[in-house]
Amino acid sequence: MALNTSWLSAERLRGRLSVGALPRETRDTLFLLAMIAWTLLPHLYHLPLWCSLMSAAVLLWRARLALVQAPLPSRWVLMLVLGLAALGTWWSFNSLLGKEPGVTLAVALMTLKTLELRARRDAFVVFFLGFFLVLTHFLYSQSLLVALAMLVSVWGLLTALVLAHMPVGQPALRQAAGLSARTALWGAPIMALLFVLFPRVGPLWGVPQDGTGSTGLSNTMRMGSVAEVAQDDSVAMRLRFTDPGGRPPAPSELYFRGPVLSRFDGQEWRVLGAQAPSGFPPSLRPALALQTRGPPLRYELTLEPLKLNVLPLLEATAVAPRIEGVELSQRDDLQWVAQRPVFERLRFTTEAHVQFRHGPDDPIVGLQDYIDLPPGYNPRTLAWAAALRREARYAQADATVLADALMAHIRTAGFSYTLAPGTYGVAQPRGAIDEFWLDRREGFCEHFAASFVVIMRALDVPARVVTGYQGMDRVPVDGYYLVRQNAAHAWAEYWQAGRGWVRADPTAAVAPDRINSSRALRPEPGLVAGALGNVNPALLAGLRNAWESVNNRWNQWVLNYTRGRQLDLLKSLGVEAPSWETLAMLLTVSLSSLALMGALWAWWDRRRLDPWQRQRLRLARQLHALGVAVQPHDSPRQLAARIRARWGAPGEPLASLMDTLEAQRYGRQALNRPDRRLTRAFLTEARLLLPR
Amino acid sequence: MSVASEARPALQPSALSLWPHPLGWLQQQIKGWWESRLPRSDTHALTQRNVYILPSRAGLMFAITLVTLLLASINYQLSLGYVLTFLLAGSGVVSMHLTHNTLRGLQLHLRPVLAVFAGDPAAVEVVLVAPPQDRQPRHGIGLQCDAAGQDQLSWVDVPAGGQTTAHLAFIAARRGWQWLPSIAVHTRFPLGLFRAWTIWRPATRCLVYPRPEHPAAPMPSAGAAAGNATLHRSAGQDETEGVRAYRRGDSQRLIVWRKAAKLMEAGGELLSRDTSSSAQQQLWLDWQATGALDTEARLSRMCAWVIRADQLGLAYGLQLPGLSLPPAHGEAHRRRCLEALALWR
Repeated sequence: MALNTSWLSAERLRGRLSVGALPRETRDTLFLLAMIAWTLLPHLYHLPLWCSLMSAAVLLWRARLALVQAPLPSRWVLMLVLGLAALGTWWSFNSLLGKEPGVTLAVALMTLKTLELRARRDAFVVFFLGFFLVLTHFLYSQSLLVALAMLVSVWGLLTALVLAHMPVGQPALRQAAGLSARTALWGAPIMALLFVLFPRVGPLWGVPQDGTGSTGLSNTMRMGSVAEVAQDDSVAMRLRFTDPGGRPPAPSELYFRGPVLSRFDGQEWRVLGAQAPSGFPPSLRPALALQTRGPPLRYELTLEPLKLNVLPLLEATAVAPRIEGVELSQRDDLQWVAQRPVFERLRFTTEAHVQFRHGPDDPIVGLQDYIDLPPGYNPRTLAWAAALRREARYAQADATVLADALMAHIRTAGFSYTLAPGTYGVAQPRGAIDEFWLDRREGFCEHFAASFVVIMRALDVPARVVTGYQGMDRVPVDGYYLVRQNAAHAWAEYWQAGRGWVRADPTAAVAPDRINSSRALRPEPGLVAGALGNVNPALLAGLRNAWESVNNRWNQWVLNYTRGRQLDLLKSLGVEAPSWETLAMLLTVSLSSLALMGALWAWWDRRRLDPWQRQRLRLARQLHALGVAVQPHDSPRQLAARIRARWGAPGEPLASLMDTLEAQRYGRQALNRPDRRLTRAFLTEARLLLPR
Repeated sequence: MSVASEARPALQPSALSLWPHPLGWLQQQIKGWWESRLPRSDTHALTQRNVYILPSRAGLMFAITLVTLLLASINYQLSLGYVLTFLLAGSGVVSMHLTHNTLRGLQLHLRPVLAVFAGDPAAVEVVLVAPPQDRQPRHGIGLQCDAAGQDQLSWVDVPAGGQTTAHLAFIAARRGWQWLPSIAVHTRFPLGLFRAWTIWRPATRCLVYPRPEHPAAPMPSAGAAAGNATLHRSAGQDETEGVRAYRRGDSQRLIVWRKAAKLMEAGGELLSRDTSSSAQQQLWLDWQATGALDTEARLSRMCAWVIRADQLGLAYGLQLPGLSLPPAHGEAHRRRCLEALALWR
């Protein structure tokens, strides 16, 4: 029952190919292969090279087999290649489970299955594997473009499925595509209903751990790691200020607090915690002691999945935002952490106070954690700090005076801000900060922040590095301000007796533009964007804004449709205390009423008469009243004759209407459905004849 | 890669084909009971009442795929995964209605079925008429006679508001008037996730002649048929008394091919031998001459004789116990004789 053997004896293809000239089987197979190739195409980024090459080779081979109508290879060959693919997967990932190996194996399976299209079951396996592969793309990206590409894929796969069920003749691809589009469009209301009402629940088992470290923030910092983020134009979060008439705060006040890095081992900065435990019991560590002043600033934040458990909220957010399915707590270093890494897009409303203070007033022993420096690193910088301390005016100075002195030094000592400073600490692995602070003096936020903290600690002032985002796009899109990944930032905090922790942003000293106007210093633009930008900067900006606007709506309405929004929707529908049970009930009720409507329609449809039959019954009733006998088999012409015989001249209009009906029903230009005007005219005429 | 057009082994077009195999006997019983409930009718209108629908095996696979997609969407929190899953689910539900609609509303009727010999395939022509209000053609409708050995489906499309004819066949095993087997009409269009079908028991009967004996025994001679005034054809068959214009029903052997070819070149017509003499030669095909066989074998032999005698253009009579057809020739006589054989007792 090989699907292809029926064409073995057929004439081989010659000359120029066109889709119409191909035999049916060949054309359908090529169409399916093209659809599979389209579905696999976006995976080329993620797949190991061998898998991409193998898939392309297999698909081309299969296309050639279809073109020359040769038999399919034996099952043993396929098993062999599949075994090789499994080995390759193991070689690439050291595992057969998980996201990347799983996708690789699914792609290999899909392409190999095309070589085994023998029976109906095989074809269905290909279709269903195809739908599954479409889903795997969403693990990597759920952007509008991916969604559109995959919509084409689903359409193509459905078209191939429809084509497979049109066994007669050679139906045009366009016809099958139309039929599948019709099916999907009629299914769209059901899709919308299910999408809106299907209760969203959290992950059922283990949270996927793949993809950590692909975003701007991380729980560790090494010099150079934030430089990559600075190139990344993608959106990290969207911000909307919800106070009526409220104006956004100045950019220099917009610090979104991410991981606070307090432990420095000479190479790497880390968060105090399980990985880098403090030497003190909790009771001795500095407490949060947050005090806020002034009116709160209410804002709504849509946060892209950061795959971290730290939520970068605006400084200082005092009250935990309520987020369905995510439990938040505030650490004593003011950062908000969730119990688990957040892999979903979050949207919530909360409030912040731009004016605040935090940290202990008095020097307590736990502050020692923030003075620790690894011995043997950066000796020249430590010496520089000691020399500073020896100056008379700084001998007894407090932390604020020292910080101001450092800022002044940064402003005046020839430091420069650049996104491509090169690497530090290559010649002297233990002297990276020496090299920056004393020799080359060029770098970006993390260089300045790290050096600032090291010197403050050397001066016996508790200090720490804070990472997060700073600033936002100045012009809102649809009322949303965008914070991009290139707004990732690192700044410093030092402790001052009586004031607690004080923010100090050494980058502001060297590049005030970066902070005050919140404009990320741009790297060189790409070739196309550069050319477009040169020709028409306004057009480029306009295009970009329009795209951001569409993308924002996509994010707000489709991707960010979470449980919280479901419940909001129910509330706006008047449900007092909505829960997922309410959702499930609503869904059940809607689906059953749909089914009930279907059943009612079927009942009505069964009783529905053929329109010709209905017309006939109406006319017959009237004729009966006029005393004209009507038999079921009488044609209109016979009835016309009977009317003439019974009523003579007064009945002539009726009789001629009957003749017209005969022509309408059986004549050369017969109508598809009865003419209502004729029915009405007949009834009117008949009423005239009736005895009063 | 047309999935539906391939021949599938032993498709059971009954209402209960999803039942597992070990219950085959029970299945047959229930199927018999089920079909005996269906009234026989000349035309078959497909309505909500007699079009059945169940998920196909592919439909069950599809359901499993949907559950997998849904679980993946939940676990990875993929909004677009939900969209995909629900889009496919919606399409699946719609495809159920489309599959059912493909059959519902059709009118089926039969063209007259010609008589056949037992063991030969009888051609059944089913006309499918779409209701006039149809706007879309109906695709992928498969028809099949529900008889042993008929696993080939005949696929048709019905144009919008038009009609089409499906050609089916079944093999009649026994002679006599035979009810046409049930006709199963089914479809999986458009997505193959559901199978809709209906079963029609036509009220038409088909006349089945006995199976001609093969190879045929020699025909009885005049001498053998003693006691009857039979005349054997005296002269050799090639002897020609004269020619006349071809008449319908003349056997090919009577045509004078050589002369006819010349005449037809000149625009003339076929010529037959004038067998006026053979008209007087009468042959009786007698039940008694068939030898000591059982009834059916005797009828088969006589059937073969009738065919042979007709091919030779002889005048022949038929002698059955209690029935006698006087010698004659021609198409009508042949049919009368075969009918007599088909319906005897």
